[in-house]
Amino acid sequence: MTSDAWALHGWSMATAATVSASCALVGTFLVVRRMSLLGDAIAHAVLPGIVVGVLAGGSLGGPLVMLGAVGAALVTVWLTQMLRAGVGLAEDAGAGVVFTTLFALGVVIVSLAASRIDLDPDCVLFGVLELAAFDLVSVGGILVPRSLVTAASVFILVGFMLAATWRMQVFTAFDIDAAKAVGLPVGSITTALLAATAAATVVGFEAVGSVLVVSMLVVPAAAAELLVRRMHHVAAVAIFIAVVSACTGWLAAWTLDTSAAGMIAVMLGGWYALAVCCAPEDGLVARTVARIALAWRVACEDSLARIWRAQEATGRSTVSLPAPRSILERAALGWLRATGCVEATAGGVRLSPMAARDAEIVVRSHRLWEAWLGRHADLPLDHLHPPAEWIEHHLGITMRQQIADEMAHNEADPHGREIPPEAG
Amino acid sequence: MTRPGTLPIIEFHDLTVAYGGRPVLWNVDLTIDEPCLFGVIGPNGAGKSTLLKSALGLVPVVGGSVRFFGSPLNRVRGRVGYVPQRETVDWDFPVSVTDVVLMGTFPRLGWFRRPGRKERVLAAECLERVGMNQYAHRQIGRLSGGQQQRVFLARALAQQADVYLLDEPLAGVDVRSQENIFRVLSELRDAGKLVVIVHHDLRTAAEWFDRVALIDRRLVATGKTDTVLTPENLRTTYSGHLEVLDALGQAVATGARTP
Amino acid sequence: MSGGLPYNTIVVLGGVAAIGFASGVVGSLSVLRKRPLVGDAAAHATLAGVALAFLVTGRRDIPTLALGAFLSAVAGLVTLVGIRRYTRTREDAATAIVIGVSFGIGVALLAGITTRGLPGAAGLGTFLLGHAAALTASDAILLAVMSLGALLAVTCLFKEFVVVAFDADYAAATGWPVSAIDVILVTLVAVMVVVGLPAAGAVLVTALVVIPPVAARQWTERVSTMLVLAGVFGLLAAVVGVLGSAAVPRLATGPLVVLAAAAICGVSFLVAPARGLLMRRRHPP
Repeated sequence: MTSDAWALHGWSMATAATVSASCALVGTFLVVRRMSLLGDAIAHAVLPGIVVGVLAGGSLGGPLVMLGAVGAALVTVWLTQMLRAGVGLAEDAGAGVVFTTLFALGVVIVSLAASRIDLDPDCVLFGVLELAAFDLVSVGGILVPRSLVTAASVFILVGFMLAATWRMQVFTAFDIDAAKAVGLPVGSITTALLAATAAATVVGFEAVGSVLVVSMLVVPAAAAELLVRRMHHVAAVAIFIAVVSACTGWLAAWTLDTSAAGMIAVMLGGWYALAVCCAPEDGLVARTVARIALAWRVACEDSLARIWRAQEATGRSTVSLPAPRSILERAALGWLRATGCVEATAGGVRLSPMAARDAEIVVRSHRLWEAWLGRHADLPLDHLHPPAEWIEHHLGITMRQQIADEMAHNEADPHGREIPPEAG
Repeated sequence: MTRPGTLPIIEFHDLTVAYGGRPVLWNVDLTIDEPCLFGVIGPNGAGKSTLLKSALGLVPVVGGSVRFFGSPLNRVRGRVGYVPQRETVDWDFPVSVTDVVLMGTFPRLGWFRRPGRKERVLAAECLERVGMNQYAHRQIGRLSGGQQQRVFLARALAQQADVYLLDEPLAGVDVRSQENIFRVLSELRDAGKLVVIVHHDLRTAAEWFDRVALIDRRLVATGKTDTVLTPENLRTTYSGHLEVLDALGQAVATGARTP
Repeated sequence: MSGGLPYNTIVVLGGVAAIGFASGVVGSLSVLRKRPLVGDAAAHATLAGVALAFLVTGRRDIPTLALGAFLSAVAGLVTLVGIRRYTRTREDAATAIVIGVSFGIGVALLAGITTRGLPGAAGLGTFLLGHAAALTASDAILLAVMSLGALLAVTCLFKEFVVVAFDADYAAATGWPVSAIDVILVTLVAVMVVVGLPAAGAVLVTALVVIPPVAARQWTERVSTMLVLAGVFGLLAAVVGVLGSAAVPRLATGPLVVLAAAAICGVSFLVAPARGLLMRRRHPP
């Protein structure tokens, strides 16, 4: 590619990335505070504010427009809350009424005043990221896209504000009632967040249009939340996802000859889907693997315990192989034999010393739990076995000791069977 | 103690209920075989409401079963009436008292059919039984807590059931409504119906119920009220330390062993 | 005056009136069920379906596009339910994700179609903000029939929708299949969203399903009255919006429909007896 082409792509990606990063940063707090739909509302509702600012002589990205946008955002929130207080309208229904109305108003003004201002409905819906690289201003002698300058300023301001109030914002996000009780100025904190949202949506609006700003606000943080837990990690991962999506989205749009705004949203969606599948603990893959691992452990432990019980019942160390009750148990028995835990001899099978210790832990857990249930719950004798079959796989050494301590020395389980001691 | 040849009215068999993989009710085994006023008592968060809801199929059951008259609930739903907690409802909903009581007649009507004269007459009778007939056309948000509770009871009465399950029907209710509700429930019991009540107040429990079950995440004890509400049982239920169950719940949810 | 309007216009107006009425009625049930914005998710998802229907079939008649829109709306709703059930993501974030990403897919497809200058692609963009003037009489009749079908479903299942919306736990306990009834309601909302697309556009059609019910609630304490009133308000908003857009061709239909609905809503908030803000000062409760 020629250097001009690189410059084009470079500036466009830089602008998209900066815009995306601002939205992702603000969006982290919106998502955690369950204000995603309010963010959507503001993203739509800033339109009339922007339009009024432009009509009053401001330029897109200038302070007048910013002021109009922040004003529109605050009007949205105020109207929504007034509807809730005045007519008992639920928050999401109220937001729905307010933002569609304000957005419609904005579109009508844009259409009517099309000759006087530099906006058109397409810009409103799709953004004009494609034009960013052509609207250059001089910054310290270098020609830089004006929208990049605006986006960078917003990012720095928003970042600064959030960094300065980080602890308070996080506290309010996690537990607003506790924050109020402690005396934090929750109203001002929220207003600051909303103002930041308005600023981020203005630059977002210019880049990707009113509707897709919501994906830049919500999706990075929603994906990041599935992957990490602590707030500053979530914010960092969200910004990373946002920046990568912005750049890849732009390049994909250029390759496929389609809208950059749309492709950025598609990339963001892809990251979210990836997070859903591959998140370490909660991801679909991780959960399936955990379920299979548990079923395998249960099948192995059950097989060992059955052999041990057969040994106890017959008094002999060699017993006949128990018939597997499922495919998983059949596989488990095969594995146990292959690894030497279950040794085949003439006349049957027996347990290796280590396997015998493991089996004893399972049986001990089983009988301790029956004893605990017998003591603490009103259950008939023949109903103790099924719960113990389940819990025998979940009692760890400390808990076994705790339960054993409650019982008299050498006490048997409710069926009168001896409880195997803890392995040495 | 089942009378020979009859099926128990409600039978909980090894019932375990879990939320998000974490068990909250462990292996409850409880049989109620006579019509009576049956109280379910226990501390907050003990799983009393959960017990009721699992019987009605409202929460997921991970082990065991519940049967009514020997059958799963789906076959005998027409015989089981329900009065849920008041908090679950939006009192700003645009329905009148009569509209709410008519909802009790919907299951018998089946799909598509609208309530007709027969249903309205029944609704009016049920409202009269709970002493709310003069409020028949009022929007439900305009009632006091006790009046709302009585409307819910009337709705359950309109189901013409044989078993009634009530979830904290007397919480936050004024004295007059309490008396009214208790009178209606006693009449039901006298007419041969089983009335199971999740109740929050130990003091009145001793007076009102024929039989009780003490629940604290598992069944502690059950039987006639005076034999069950002993100091020792109460101590076990209300101040029993259950870190064991807490730790186990966590372990089960993650598929591991406890520490 | 009616003698002067051409047949086409009358039919389109009639169709739009039916759409507006049915949207108000179906939307009321959705609002009462406390899920007012599920229509928004469906609406934004329709765009991808419209674009795909055009790409796959090469046709841009209303029935084809409506089918595509309905299928992708359903896909969006299924995704929404899937997110709620299988992930930790909160409900409001899930709705916003579906809205944003599905619309992005639609925009990417639509822009791709436009830049390639595919024949017949011009005018797909009207599905964004609505352009009722492009409706033919037969289109309007089709959409009106679908709207009446939705109304019929509401009439048949009225008590079922109400009992689930009022107290879902009690409904489930007494044997009603709450999930199935919710699915039927959401499907009806998706149908109304698709039907409203030509008139109001994907971005704003949700307003026809949310604003009239909110306005109607202010005037009555009875569900059946609320549904009828919401239908009337929806009808008025749709008709006014279409007439306004016909009078000023520069304006897309959607925004005008929304503003008309909002005006009705604003008036309702202020002067409805008993609940109106102005009335309360004169007759304190």
